[in-house]
Amino acid sequence: MDGQDLIRSARFRREREADWRRLETLVRAAESKGLQRMQFADTRDLAALYRQATTSLAIAREISLDKALLGYLEALTARAYLCVYAPQERLGGLFGRILTRGAPEAMRRCWLFILLGFLFMTLGALAGYLLYFENNDWFYVFMPSEMADGRGPGATTASLRASIYGHDSGTSGLGAFAAYLFSHNTRIAIFVFGLGVFACAPAILLTFYNGLILGAFLALHVDRGLGVDLAGWLSVHGVTELSAVCIACGGGLKLGSAVLFPGDRTRADALRHAGRDAVKLALVAALMLIAAAILESFARQLVQDLTLRFVIGWGVGAFWLAWFVLGGRRGR
Amino acid sequence: MIRRLRKSKKDKGPSPDILMPPEGVALTLPVAGIGVRTAAQFTDIVLTSIAAVCLLVLLFTLELASPQSMAAIAVLVFFSIGVPYYVLAELAWNGQTLGKRIMKIKVVAHDGGPLSAHSLVLRNLMKEAEIFLPGTLLLTLDAASPLETTASLIWISIALLVPFRDRYRRRLGDMMAGTHVIHLPVPVLLTDLAVEKPASGADGKSFVFLSHQLDHYGAFELQTLETLLRARSTPTATAASRQTDAAIATIVEKIRKKIGYAEPVPSQDRLPFLKAFYNAQREHLEQRRLFGDRRENKHYAHTDKDI
Repeated sequence: MDGQDLIRSARFRREREADWRRLETLVRAAESKGLQRMQFADTRDLAALYRQATTSLAIAREISLDKALLGYLEALTARAYLCVYAPQERLGGLFGRILTRGAPEAMRRCWLFILLGFLFMTLGALAGYLLYFENNDWFYVFMPSEMADGRGPGATTASLRASIYGHDSGTSGLGAFAAYLFSHNTRIAIFVFGLGVFACAPAILLTFYNGLILGAFLALHVDRGLGVDLAGWLSVHGVTELSAVCIACGGGLKLGSAVLFPGDRTRADALRHAGRDAVKLALVAALMLIAAAILESFARQLVQDLTLRFVIGWGVGAFWLAWFVLGGRRGR
Repeated sequence: MIRRLRKSKKDKGPSPDILMPPEGVALTLPVAGIGVRTAAQFTDIVLTSIAAVCLLVLLFTLELASPQSMAAIAVLVFFSIGVPYYVLAELAWNGQTLGKRIMKIKVVAHDGGPLSAHSLVLRNLMKEAEIFLPGTLLLTLDAASPLETTASLIWISIALLVPFRDRYRRRLGDMMAGTHVIHLPVPVLLTDLAVEKPASGADGKSFVFLSHQLDHYGAFELQTLETLLRARSTPTATAASRQTDAAIATIVEKIRKKIGYAEPVPSQDRLPFLKAFYNAQREHLEQRRLFGDRRENKHYAHTDKDI
């Protein structure tokens, strides 16, 4: 049978069927091997044939009543579309771009939310500090017992000093690293970011609570005349770690404020918009927490000198600040 | 069919199954339901846990590290089968994790554009707050502290209700990242019924239909006939085919009566008659369509009058 006595839609199909079959094999190859490992000619054909197939689909919807053909073209075009519009970036380039440009720019855009995060932490610390001096028993209310580690209003000044300037026995190196990485503050950071979306309140409360613990802890040591020593001990990692919690809180607040005040957008739309910066804040916080864990597990026990502890802690803090302020600015 | 059902249920906005790619030709990609996504999630959890345990047992038997470091490595491994696994898997496999590959579902960008690394990272970061933490909370619920229990139950129910309320079955992470999850369509090209051998009766005489005889049916009836003919052409069990023999006899008689085809159709000629009718009807309808006369079903004449 030559094509002449066929009906129009059957002729349409006969003329293009070979191209569709080729596209089908290319799509299968792309799905199993990945676009990166395909021949240049094949990927070029994939893109061209995909566009042809979309045209075929648009025409077939107008002229053909063959349900099988419509279903096939629809599925084929969809599969090809998913291949053609796959993420093309390599992981290395992605990380590089986030570190050099994306993260610092997001930090600068969200400065208000991050400031709020720091504010809640400071307010919490202040409240904890004042409450401790009002009544020592507040310490037990705020402090989870596994964190206090025997340090409390009942402990002697000598033992407090020893825990600041002593060597941890038992854990060291990698074990200590993991232990600190998944310690209290990391859990707090994950919570404040993830829970921020539920209308901000959980993130604010948790950050404030974290501040309360800090304040009570600080007050205990100031009470015993160990304030400066504790500040040094905390500075080594705390500058980085507590900042990370505040930044995570900032990310959570950004999401929560999008839910509370979506403005002209729909809530889903506002969330999507806020998400672009919030996710970068979360990544920055994660990076800082890892850095803090390294500092805590290695530097804090090795460095016993008070001034050096201040220098390391605040030096690293200054490095973060410089990154956020200066990173990603294009020279003119 | 799915679209018809959906439309009749609630008539607001376009169907959620339609995705508009940059080329501007709408594609039908059915949204994946909660059930299949939960199944994919469970598959992922099971597979990654098995892999992690195997890895740890292997390291332990090889005695590469001291027991203290082993504990640290275990913590790190169990951390990495959380969010990092999902982010990296979806980046590497174009929006699919192992579980999603098995369930044949996939993440797509909600606006039809390319899937960006940013959205994959974000939707999986939120997985921690939406799935893993509520899940562990549910396992560790404590009746002794009613306040905490109520708070976590409220949180869990909010996280669960969001996808049920959404037309695209998106969870919060999906909304933030601008993605939703779809079923992967399977392209199967069946033969064109109109190309098959010219249909003629047993006595070599071909069936001829006149133009007014073809004005009774629309696209819906034509495609129903197509489904029936395709089901006939595939080899089936004898019981089923005997049943359809009776059905086909009825159908042929109905069509004959409706279109006023005077000549009786002998039993061995019923299938060729239907095929010939399909060809003629399709050619006729497609031609009418080219002239702007779209006949969706046999009631096309009445709907025109109503409007």
